[in-house]
Amino acid sequence: MKPLRNFSIDKKLSLVVILLVFSALLFSSGFIYFRTYKTFESVVEDNSKEINKQIILNYESHFEEIREIGRYIEIETSKLDTANQTNLFSLYNSFATLNADIISISLVDDTGRVQATSYSSYVQNSYLTEHEWFIKAIENEGIYFFLMSPNKKVFLNTDEEVINVSKRIEFYADGEERVGVLLIELSTLKIDTLSKQSNLGEDGHIIIFNDQDELIYSSDSNCIDSTCLSNVLARDLIIGGKFVEINGTDMYMSINTIHGTRWRIATFINVEIISSSQFTLSMLLFYVFIITIVLSIVGTSILTKQITKPLNQLKTHMLEIQNSDHLYREVDIKGQKEVVILAQAYNDMIKEIRRLLDRLVEEQNEKRKTELIALQTQINPHFLYNTLDSIVWLAEQKDNEHVIEMVIALSRFFRISISRGKDVIPIEKEIQHAQYYIQIQQIRYSNKFDYTFDIDESILQYEVVKLILQPLIENAIQHGVHEEYKGQIHIKAYQENGFVNFEVSNNGYGLTKQKIEEIYEKIANDNHESVGLKNVVQRLKLYYGPTSGIEITSELDKNTTFKVYYPILKGEI
Amino acid sequence: MKKVLIVLMSLMLFALTGCGDKDYEIPLIIYDFEDLYMQDFEDLIYLADNYSEFHFVSYDSKNSQIIQNEIVSDVLLNDSNVIVVNPVDRLGVYPIIAKAKENDISIIFINREPIKEDLLLYDKLYYVGAKPEQSAEYQADIIIDLFGGNPYALNEFDLNEDNVIQCVILKGEPGHQDAEIRTENVIEELHNAGFEVEILTVEEAYFSQDLASQKMRDLLPLYGESMEIVIANNDAMAIGAINVLIEEGFFVDENLDESIDRETETWFPVVGIDGLPIAVELIEKGYLYGTVLNDSETMAQAINELAYLLVSGLDINDFSFVIEDNKYIWIDYKKIY
Repeated sequence: MKPLRNFSIDKKLSLVVILLVFSALLFSSGFIYFRTYKTFESVVEDNSKEINKQIILNYESHFEEIREIGRYIEIETSKLDTANQTNLFSLYNSFATLNADIISISLVDDTGRVQATSYSSYVQNSYLTEHEWFIKAIENEGIYFFLMSPNKKVFLNTDEEVINVSKRIEFYADGEERVGVLLIELSTLKIDTLSKQSNLGEDGHIIIFNDQDELIYSSDSNCIDSTCLSNVLARDLIIGGKFVEINGTDMYMSINTIHGTRWRIATFINVEIISSSQFTLSMLLFYVFIITIVLSIVGTSILTKQITKPLNQLKTHMLEIQNSDHLYREVDIKGQKEVVILAQAYNDMIKEIRRLLDRLVEEQNEKRKTELIALQTQINPHFLYNTLDSIVWLAEQKDNEHVIEMVIALSRFFRISISRGKDVIPIEKEIQHAQYYIQIQQIRYSNKFDYTFDIDESILQYEVVKLILQPLIENAIQHGVHEEYKGQIHIKAYQENGFVNFEVSNNGYGLTKQKIEEIYEKIANDNHESVGLKNVVQRLKLYYGPTSGIEITSELDKNTTFKVYYPILKGEI
Repeated sequence: MKKVLIVLMSLMLFALTGCGDKDYEIPLIIYDFEDLYMQDFEDLIYLADNYSEFHFVSYDSKNSQIIQNEIVSDVLLNDSNVIVVNPVDRLGVYPIIAKAKENDISIIFINREPIKEDLLLYDKLYYVGAKPEQSAEYQADIIIDLFGGNPYALNEFDLNEDNVIQCVILKGEPGHQDAEIRTENVIEELHNAGFEVEILTVEEAYFSQDLASQKMRDLLPLYGESMEIVIANNDAMAIGAINVLIEEGFFVDENLDESIDRETETWFPVVGIDGLPIAVELIEKGYLYGTVLNDSETMAQAINELAYLLVSGLDINDFSFVIEDNKYIWIDYKKIY
């Protein structure tokens, strides 16, 4: 099941539809084929059986007619004495003459002597009691036996085939009751005529055979003795119906007994129509099958294209967005209604995400700013303590001039620090702030360092996030002022390529490259360890974006410069 | 999946148990449902089925050997190893026998006896029936009894007191085995018992009541005075004759109680064969003198018992009826008068 899940929707759809159509078609056409074939076969079978019955009825009525004549003659014979030859002769002769099928009628007594006959002249055969027709009849009372005499008539030596119909009857000879056999010789012409009355189709034929499975009659010139295929097939089936093949032709064979005889008729009816219609049907179903399959494949691919093409567009678009950071591009899709709606919903969603994300960033920035400002505005208490301590010390020295200077500087310093709660102040103020700070520190450090300000006047009007310079100077004093020699601190501010640059350099021991890297790293690291420099840089980035930053350059034992820069905002130019 | 399997299994089990022994069918193939005698016989066969091992299922051959052949071909496809066949055509059963032999199936033939040559074709063939000659013998016995039993001194029923029985015979279909045998044997039996018989006429009434009435009406002017008894090959013809004899005053129901008191009222002896219920009724009312009952009830019992033995594969020697030549189970007729 799992591999199927990995199939694309169009493959899956096509596969399912084709499988469904295929199996439904296979099942239904198989069913139709089978049912139609079976129905047709049973119709043909029933029809064939019906023809067989009709043929048999024809034969039965023919034989019944002969039996009726026999019964009449039996009754009449029992009324006449054989002594009266003329009466019997005229009776027998009139039937033999009137009925075209009857060749002769004779009465043979139990010793084999001819008692009466329709022949006007005949040859007395001395072995009549050995004839089958005689034996059968004399041994079985009340039964008419129909036997085929294969070679000749009983009384005339001709080669014409006849049917011997015999029955044991009672008669009177010279007033004495005797037993004998009534023999009617029947022509086979009627059998032939009857066989041709039914349409059995091309090569269709009938055969008649007896209880010994010996062929009695065949309407087929190919079947002349008991060994012919028709007779063999009929013998094997005994009675009933079956589809058979004779000389490459499909036939339906049905076999039944002829009432009152020991004979069976097998009809062979041409049923080629079954196989030909079977072929037509299968071809028809095959074409329907192919056409439907092709149509369903085409239909499915069109349908799936309509669904999957816009879906794929949407998918590609989504992947693009996933792989790029801020590509909030809207997608334009035409095609299947549902997918278009989906795309619209997607666009709406993207818009909403963008809005929410922007707001989130904004909120975060605000939050950060507030935090950082809060941090920045906490003036190092040591500075205040030290400064106040210095002032106390100056006062003790009665250095009033410096005390005044320091207190004024301190108060102004704080005034700018507060700046009425504003975050951003003019660069001029920022510089002043730095100057007050460094003034205080110089007094504190008892002129252990000198400082210079090199300010580009043109930038004074621009604004800057407050308290940027002070931490840099604090840093420079810390690292650049030593006991051994007088420290030099240079503060430089200028504009360059739309950026404002503040540089604070000292002539301390300097920083190794490794040290500089460490500092960069600390600044970039977003942990909670708050360093003055890091705070400066973060605030710059918050206000002025990623193009602002810090740059540290150092020549060991010569000088070290910390430069911060930020772009001049468009509104300020 | 498991559930489906369980359902399938139980269905299969159901199907398997569905074909248990109780549903074992024995086809009972009747030559024609229209035949009243066969209707009664069929009912008796069903009534005598006290066996839980099988039950009979009837088929109607509609008096056509072709249809019977088809039925046999069809039932041979079922798994019954015994079939009961009432042949349409005595001569036409040999293919059925051949089919049965091929499928190793036993056949019990009833009512119409196949020719011996065919019954010898295969060992699992049986015929349950009555010997046709016996019905005639029994009919002769009834006649002998009527005339007092002494061939040299006939009683008052020898109307002309010549010690010869003057009779009119109503014969069935000429050439029909029953008609020939019954006619021949009743006379032969009377002769054998020493009675002298004068056959006034043999009328062929084809076993038909109406035809018998017609023939009777024709022959009464000729033989009405001289005849002493009417012997019919079956009850239907006897009844046909009685109807005419009533019209012609041979029976006189003086007290109009719709029956004849043979002691006090006028009557004439007519005998039949078959023992139809209506004939038995007429005997009770004093019109028909006697008949010979084809003992279908006992035959039905024999058929059932034989079927049971064959179905269960039991020894045929345990059969409570006598089997002649391993083929024939002869059931005696019963005299009713």
